[in-house]
Amino acid sequence: MALTLDELFDRVQKPARYTGGELNSVVKDKSKVNVRFAFCFPDLYEVGMSHLGMKILYGLKNAVEDFWCERVFAPDTDMEALMRENGIPLFALESRDPVREFDFVGFTLQYEMCYTTILNMLDLAGIPLRADQRGEDMPLVIAGGPCACNPEPLADFFDIFILGEGEEVNLELMTLYREHKQQGYDKQRFLKAAAQLEGVYVPAFYEVSYHEDGRVQAITPIGGVPATVRKRVIRDMDTAYYPEAFVVPFIDIVHDRAMSEIFRGCIRGCRFCQAGFIYRPVREKSVETIDRQSRCLCETSGYEEFSLSSLSTSDYTHLEELLTQLLSWAEEQHTNISVPSLRVDGFSEELANRLNVLRRNGLTFAPEAGTQRLRDTINKNLTEDEILETARRAFSGGWTSVKLYFMMGLPTETAEDIVGINTLGQKIVNCFYQNPNKPKGKGVTVSVSVSCFVPKPFTPFQWEPQDTLAQLEEKQRLLRESVTTKKVSLSWHDAKTSYLEAVLARGDRRLGAVLEEAFRRGFNLDAWSEHFDFDAWMDIFRNQGLNPDFYACRRREEDEVFPWDHIDVGVTKAFLWAENQRAHEGVTTPHCRQECSHCGAACFKGGVCVERR
Amino acid sequence: MNDVKDFTTVRIVFSKKGRARYISHLDLNRTMTRAVRRAGLPIWYTEGFNKHPYLTFAAPLSLGFEGERETMDLRLERDMPMDELVSRLDAVMPEGLRILDAAPAVKKAGEVACAVYRLTLNCPVEAVNSLLAQESITAQKRTKKKELVTVELKPVLDAAQGCVSECPEGTRWELTLPMGSELSVNPSLIVAALREQQGLPTLSAQVLRLRVLSKDGTEFV
Ligand code: SF4
Repeated sequence: MALTLDELFDRVQKPARYTGGELNSVVKDKSKVNVRFAFCFPDLYEVGMSHLGMKILYGLKNAVEDFWCERVFAPDTDMEALMRENGIPLFALESRDPVREFDFVGFTLQYEMCYTTILNMLDLAGIPLRADQRGEDMPLVIAGGPCACNPEPLADFFDIFILGEGEEVNLELMTLYREHKQQGYDKQRFLKAAAQLEGVYVPAFYEVSYHEDGRVQAITPIGGVPATVRKRVIRDMDTAYYPEAFVVPFIDIVHDRAMSEIFRGCIRGCRFCQAGFIYRPVREKSVETIDRQSRCLCETSGYEEFSLSSLSTSDYTHLEELLTQLLSWAEEQHTNISVPSLRVDGFSEELANRLNVLRRNGLTFAPEAGTQRLRDTINKNLTEDEILETARRAFSGGWTSVKLYFMMGLPTETAEDIVGINTLGQKIVNCFYQNPNKPKGKGVTVSVSVSCFVPKPFTPFQWEPQDTLAQLEEKQRLLRESVTTKKVSLSWHDAKTSYLEAVLARGDRRLGAVLEEAFRRGFNLDAWSEHFDFDAWMDIFRNQGLNPDFYACRRREEDEVFPWDHIDVGVTKAFLWAENQRAHEGVTTPHCRQECSHCGAACFKGGVCVERR
Repeated sequence: MNDVKDFTTVRIVFSKKGRARYISHLDLNRTMTRAVRRAGLPIWYTEGFNKHPYLTFAAPLSLGFEGERETMDLRLERDMPMDELVSRLDAVMPEGLRILDAAPAVKKAGEVACAVYRLTLNCPVEAVNSLLAQESITAQKRTKKKELVTVELKPVLDAAQGCVSECPEGTRWELTLPMGSELSVNPSLIVAALREQQGLPTLSAQVLRLRVLSKDGTEFV
């Protein structure tokens, strides 16, 4: 006898991941709803529920009376096994209806390692994986998010990709669908019409041809769709939709707090950072808007903490004014403000103390590279002096540990740069001992965390090879041997995961077969290291006749056609190439507020590109 | 440090049903803290670096069980009418949690003695009666040190003032189980004994705690 859903809840870890019913979750009367959207996050509840983009789009869609958006997360392995055993398909948390009965099934693509989880979720929902196997009776399977800027490895599985910011285009797409449904829905006709919306990419309408060696030869639009699809951008952040309430989970999640987005985009242009280019241009919210939205969210959620969200908090133009304003009511209500990625330098001591910056976040830096030469190459403008000065300040305040983030395998990197990582760590250790009033009897720890560089599309390094696994291992050895003190502690990210990430990030449509085979072999939740089996992945590439090094470790020519060339994020390929050349010359590029470098994003006519300098 | 005696400790009676039964005890604490903040109650915050509202539960309820009349204590910084407290807090509760009552706490948490449960079981009445007729009724239990031990439940069940009756799902069994510092018996142990000793592998049970009693036999509220 099959078990009911309630009986499953009694048998799994953390059932509140699956029950729904959280405060501020939206339940509507099905009979009054015209378009149903299952918002799927391809990871566990704790991860997905921490994601700001999902909260925005959930609120936005549900604000339309006859649209109903519900949440779906990947079940953990215990729950999935029981669901499969008892014939319970993937369901949405609010209504507990099977996802396959929805009009739209939308995934957010936050990182490459979730791709197999997506296929597994579709299968668990009883939805055929490939778009061409799904007829009128099946939901439209769509996706958005940062990885959608090169969605090609997933092209076979999705009907639609949404490029750029989803606030406007999601509603346009659902409205168009409602019209088509009222006039008798035909999938092909709908997709044709949808492909005319800016920011909507229908992969089936583009044909890809390859050179014999596997490079893309051409991407050809068929049936009158635009040759390139441009991402969508919200021009004015002050009038953009922002939720008045967040769903408040019962269980502890990764980021269990209210979040206020303070701006989108980044002025900096670090050359390894995809987010720094695909979200251009920078657009800020005013102090009043942020203040109003933060206050509202805290009131409706009861959260005891809220964080300011952006790519680089310190770049907000009115930061002191903002924080002073927020603190004026937050302190009274015993509400903490968390300010991630804040540069403590150039920040008033009083404000830093009121925010408790150090105590809450610890002292962290992301120099990314060990020498000034390499930091210039990647355009990371953080100098050694700035780092040491901040460390001194923290140590004199009684602080005894510092965390540093680096990357290894960056373009032009030499042994000197690797050893430089330790040298910088050692200099910070010295700062501690030079402090005349250092706490008695206490030592210092400098934790150095090193990840492997992954070249990403739409960055100046999209032409660059990733280091091979052997090279990365050699560099790890070199760094390990350069450390001579226990006061500097090293930790690594798994190089094999970064390698697979690099393959998928710059992959083409031929990788669809690899992903499908990986799913058939039961791969799921690869982002969780205990589930990740590297050798099995390599075996699949071999069986499909594809060489992963071709994607990860190959240097591209300037004029190579990339699998993502028909996607337009505003920033031009010519600009990215110029940036690549400057990197090799070791020349930095000023940020958007110092000087416009004419990257192409001015085509959106918003934000920093139209600000007076 | 503030003298805590300056503040009124209020005992709140609430029910926890439906989807809310899957809120674990730890999570309930957080859920209630946030509800109190949403309601804007003048709650007292503990001192120190990690300030948090003072909120405790005298008799935590296991994950998966429903509760008809649960209690939670919180400390207010200033007095307010109890009916206003109830209505303001009830208005901001998530699905499945309802605020029923509030009054200044009189009894100490240590006075909790036992609890009355209603088990709804998908088995016939005879299974329960036949279990009760056994000489010995045992179940395995994990100690705090994670060791498996066998516990004898016969004396507890003899004293449980049980009432067994038929219901649409199968059997309804109301019984009183000790819950105190010396002896505490979780109804899941009784269900496990029934499953094992009566050979009912598919036995499932819904557990509802009807009320918690204090040493003097009156309801702990
Ligand atoms: S066009 Fe100029 S100001 Fe605008 S994002 Fe590009 S570099 Fe920055």
